[in-house]
Amino acid sequence: MTPKDKLLIRKICAHAFLIGFIALVLAPFVMVVTASLRKGNFAPSRVFLSPNEYSLEHWKFVLGVPYEEVVNAATGEKRVIRAGTPPLLWFWNSIKVSLIASTGIILLSGTAAYAFSRLKFRFRKPTLVGLLILQMFPLLLALVAFYVILDFTGQYLKWLGLNTHPGLIMVYLGGISSYIWMIKGYFDTIPLSMEESARIDGASRFQTFLRILLPMSLPIFAVVFILSFIGYMSEYPVASVVLQTSDNWTLAVGANSFLYEQEKLWGRFAALAVLSGVPITVMFLLCQRFVIGGLTSGGVKE
Amino acid sequence: MSEGSVQIKDLVKTYTDDRGRPTFTAVKKINLNIDNGEFMVLVGPSGCGKTTTLRMVAGLEKISSGTISIGERVVNDLEPKDRGIAMVFQNYALYPHMSIFNNMAFGLQLAKKKKDFIQETVSKTSRALGLDSMLERKPQALSGGQRQRVALGRAIVRNPQVFLFDEPLSNLDAKMRVQMRSEISRLHTQLGNTMIYVTHDQVEAMTMGDRICVMKDGLIMQVADPLTLYRKPENLFVAGFIGSPPMNLLKGKIQKRDGGLFFVESAEKDALNLPLQGRLEPLAAKYVDKDVVFGIRPEHISNEPQEGSNTPVTMTVDISEPMGSESLVYMKAGTGNVIARIHGENLYHQGDKVTVQLNLDKVSLFDPQTENVIR
Repeated sequence: MTPKDKLLIRKICAHAFLIGFIALVLAPFVMVVTASLRKGNFAPSRVFLSPNEYSLEHWKFVLGVPYEEVVNAATGEKRVIRAGTPPLLWFWNSIKVSLIASTGIILLSGTAAYAFSRLKFRFRKPTLVGLLILQMFPLLLALVAFYVILDFTGQYLKWLGLNTHPGLIMVYLGGISSYIWMIKGYFDTIPLSMEESARIDGASRFQTFLRILLPMSLPIFAVVFILSFIGYMSEYPVASVVLQTSDNWTLAVGANSFLYEQEKLWGRFAALAVLSGVPITVMFLLCQRFVIGGLTSGGVKE
Repeated sequence: MSEGSVQIKDLVKTYTDDRGRPTFTAVKKINLNIDNGEFMVLVGPSGCGKTTTLRMVAGLEKISSGTISIGERVVNDLEPKDRGIAMVFQNYALYPHMSIFNNMAFGLQLAKKKKDFIQETVSKTSRALGLDSMLERKPQALSGGQRQRVALGRAIVRNPQVFLFDEPLSNLDAKMRVQMRSEISRLHTQLGNTMIYVTHDQVEAMTMGDRICVMKDGLIMQVADPLTLYRKPENLFVAGFIGSPPMNLLKGKIQKRDGGLFFVESAEKDALNLPLQGRLEPLAAKYVDKDVVFGIRPEHISNEPQEGSNTPVTMTVDISEPMGSESLVYMKAGTGNVIARIHGENLYHQGDKVTVQLNLDKVSLFDPQTENVIR
């Protein structure tokens, strides 16, 4: 066997492995898409469908387009199916909550990270360690506490209680510790001499933060925004406890509502799942251009 | 006209941790007067406190105690922008997301100066530094030397009374370093401002400074013009720090023998026995039977007697470095090698026995206890 043949075999094996692996990873996703296009309410199990199994009924339901369904096969009786609460409303709720919460996260964790990275104050180190430990506990653990707190605030501020979006956003803004660490770590890699130079030029602390540090930190802020956005778009436990009426639901809670004990409406669930992937993909594409490596290159000599 | 003079009085800097407890004293009470228009170099090994001192003058470090005055005005509590200073950093510290023009204009923009004024000032400075063709570029598109010039330009645009340099040439290659050195010196001649320059490189210090302040461990060892530092070091540290190759420092004792004074090296083997005459005699007389350090520079050891009192010594060659017009010859002595700068194209080989003449008039004697020079 010549070396060329060996190389060819190696290439084929490598490609076969990669294609197989990718197929394995993509298969569940494709199955969900297929389930959303399948007539009836079968759980995602098939990758390919035969032509007569296709149906757009689930998508029509999700997008709020009323359609007719045969109720009684014998009599041919039809009825119009329309969602009680349009799923698109849940879609909009999710986007609204995620966008606002992500923006809040950036503001809060960015400024906090600046303090931890650049300022000197008592208990700085213990607070940082405390945050590190705190971030190990998922938001979910404090579910009961959230309920009680929101119930309390709802008594005094109607718009900030249980079953409100501001209330949910307020709870979401508490998941800040890991993002503070990420941003602080990034700030630590930016040499202090740039801010000192700005200080000599006459910039106040805030101007330095705004005009020097922030533009240089766009990559990490883009990353934090995407991560928190994805997290909140797909968050279920807290949202399901806080939001109680169906017109307040987010996508995750709404999708789950289709899984009745007696009849799990997988078709609609799958359609909603695919729908929730759209804003995340869009957000990724938008934020991608900010995640440019080497943003500080040329500014200082390492 | 003393707006550019800098007075440092009893300056101390102690670092503290987050809770305010002292951890390390970097500057241990120093006093320094810098005249208006002077090029003062702060030089010393890493950790000697020179950069900390510079940063305190700039206002980037809080002063623990003492005062700093710029132009007879105490600036302890003034923000850096109000002190009339400009600083050039070791790692350039250019804003990478801004163009060169904006880098230089940033300070003026913050001060809300008129657009025409900013345009004019930046253009003038960039032209003088040869940067006017690259004003729209970002720092990453420039070479190291060009970036350093932008940093210089940014400082010049501020029109300060005092320029502060924090090891600006350390990150450049050797050729660029020599070029920038003369550019900065030329700048000083042109602008005439006071310049405080921090470096660890004694060659930079010697070639650029009007006066040099040698620092060690937070204290000033000596302040003088380059030649005085070279010829009349006041202590062991300065003697060994200034000059390349460094001064030969031999440990030994002064002994009185046969009616004359001798310097005897404290060693088992190859100990040098040097008869002392001339200028050295009264100095050595104070230290009979006591330990001293005998210091002589390599160029004052030669193969021919020089002006003044000389004493011949025969030593064995250990290493020889022929440089062309002269050779650096390392010869074995009791406590180490003695380096001599011998003129001429002679080649010396290991094991050769050479008789050299030591110029006693240029010798410095030091007290090993106090480390000060014996006068």
